[in-house]
Amino acid sequence: MLRTERRPASSSRRPRLPSRARLEEGRLGWLLILPVVAVIAVLVIYPLALGFGLSLRSVHYASGTPETFVGLKNYVDVLGDAESRSALVHTMGYVVVAVVLEIVFGTLMALVLDQAFRGRGVLFAILILPWAMPGIVSGLLWTRILNPDNGLLNSLLFQLHLIDHYQVWFSSPLASIVLIAIVHVWGVLPLIALIILSGLQSVPDELHAAAAVDGAGPIAQFRFVTLPLIRPAVAVALTIGTVAALGIFDEIYVLNGTALGTRSIQTQIYLTTFDQLDFGRGTALAFLLAFVTILFSIAYLRGFRRQTV
Amino acid sequence: MHASRVQQVVRAIGVAAIGVWSLGPVLIGLITSLSTEADVQAVPAHWVPDAPTIGSYQTLLGGDIVQGGIRTPSEVTAFVSAMGNTAIVTVEAVVACVVVSVLAGYAFSRLRFLGRKVAFVALIVTLEVPIFALLAPLFQLMAGVHLIDTQLGLVLVYVSSQAPLAVWLLYNYCRELPPEPEEAALIDGCGRFAVFWRIVLPQMRSGIAAVSAIVMLSVWGQFLVPLLFAPTIATKPVTVLLTEFVGKYTTNQPLIVAAGMLALLPPAVVAVALNRQIRGMLSGWSN
Repeated sequence: MLRTERRPASSSRRPRLPSRARLEEGRLGWLLILPVVAVIAVLVIYPLALGFGLSLRSVHYASGTPETFVGLKNYVDVLGDAESRSALVHTMGYVVVAVVLEIVFGTLMALVLDQAFRGRGVLFAILILPWAMPGIVSGLLWTRILNPDNGLLNSLLFQLHLIDHYQVWFSSPLASIVLIAIVHVWGVLPLIALIILSGLQSVPDELHAAAAVDGAGPIAQFRFVTLPLIRPAVAVALTIGTVAALGIFDEIYVLNGTALGTRSIQTQIYLTTFDQLDFGRGTALAFLLAFVTILFSIAYLRGFRRQTV
Repeated sequence: MHASRVQQVVRAIGVAAIGVWSLGPVLIGLITSLSTEADVQAVPAHWVPDAPTIGSYQTLLGGDIVQGGIRTPSEVTAFVSAMGNTAIVTVEAVVACVVVSVLAGYAFSRLRFLGRKVAFVALIVTLEVPIFALLAPLFQLMAGVHLIDTQLGLVLVYVSSQAPLAVWLLYNYCRELPPEPEEAALIDGCGRFAVFWRIVLPQMRSGIAAVSAIVMLSVWGQFLVPLLFAPTIATKPVTVLLTEFVGKYTTNQPLIVAAGMLALLPPAVVAVALNRQIRGMLSGWSN
């Protein structure tokens, strides 16, 4: 909805303007939005059209063969390609691990932050740090922690006598994907926690008091009072978490490069387009991923709205 | 309602866990950056370095100390100019993005004009278009007008990718402002633009601060876009240089991590200083 009660279209509260003033308003309106409209038209909408064209053609700069129209062939090729498929499986792994951890721990963090305690302001400032950190830098810091030869996690577990020799954490694709997803979660979690917190803060205290009178313990209160009311915030958090994880690239690049075992779709797009210089197939894969991304955000927001209303 | 003893303990554990989780890796980074190579290689780890040193920072910023014989003058220049590139492009992108977004956010929320709805919906739809879908065509487009490896090219890509969100946030912010002062000024015969400039803009200060911070954090950490659009040291940002350091100085972790800590400093300062405004903006975003 674009309009609110406060400002209905034919406002009776607003002074009726003479037509010259209304003309001025219209002209000023377009003048003010023109820069953004121009930027978006030239740098988003036009490239989107160009990209769609690219994805329907065979554009292979490495071989120098002339461009030809191939219809949906790039899409079919990409869907049948073993590397793209395994990248798809990895990406689903990143998304599932990341989103589950983000929602569970984001909610727990928000429940803590929703309390009143001394030093809350300081905790907020600390909490937000990982989100401010470039993904590349957080990758570097986690390399220091997860390094198999001199990493701090190994050292900690060894010194606590929990392991008797240093472990290679990135020993299997599955373990690597889980660890990279955790590093990714580290950077996204503050945003998720703050969004769920804003949902929690909109729950009136009286509801908890009433539920307590009815004999509901903290867990029952959370399940039957809090959870239904923070659904919209959780939907936004889910969308942001899923979209971020679907496009994961930086953390993988620092922690494991473009290795086949941990490659995400985003990594595969990068390699296909800018390493193999196959712009047609690369763009087709990118469009498929974009399509899935948009589907996810619509599905989450729709699904959660329906359950709340 | 008083928290019970159990609740207090659980809360204290939660607070401690959030603190350790969020700050732990940053502290580890700080300690690593102040260590020698020998300290970092130690097994089991030296949690407190035997010989703390700021040598890595001096190496990066052009001091005279040479560590492990790897410092060459050109590397110093590379790091300093990459930091400079990041800083300049980020400032330019933030200013450009916020200026155009403030104008549009105000216009969409307060002015009525033909095509307003269509333009607004189109803009919000582009919010859903992920940047990776545009990389190949944008690259061709930019190469066609010779904007690869230029500040202008990077700034344009960043503004186009950040503006939809910035407009959306500022549009919501504007809508929450009380309309009465503007209406009074209009009745007094103020022009529309004067009303915007003198009455609305000052009221938007904390919203503008929050959106600037959000755009700044996002642009500062960009990696894939500059990896493609900023191939040489003329425009290469510090994030891309860092990944090159990783390949080059595999054994000198203190140096690499020190570079990372310096790259973290500006966004960390912005995030901490403006965290109240950022939180306020986020709670509006999700409702």
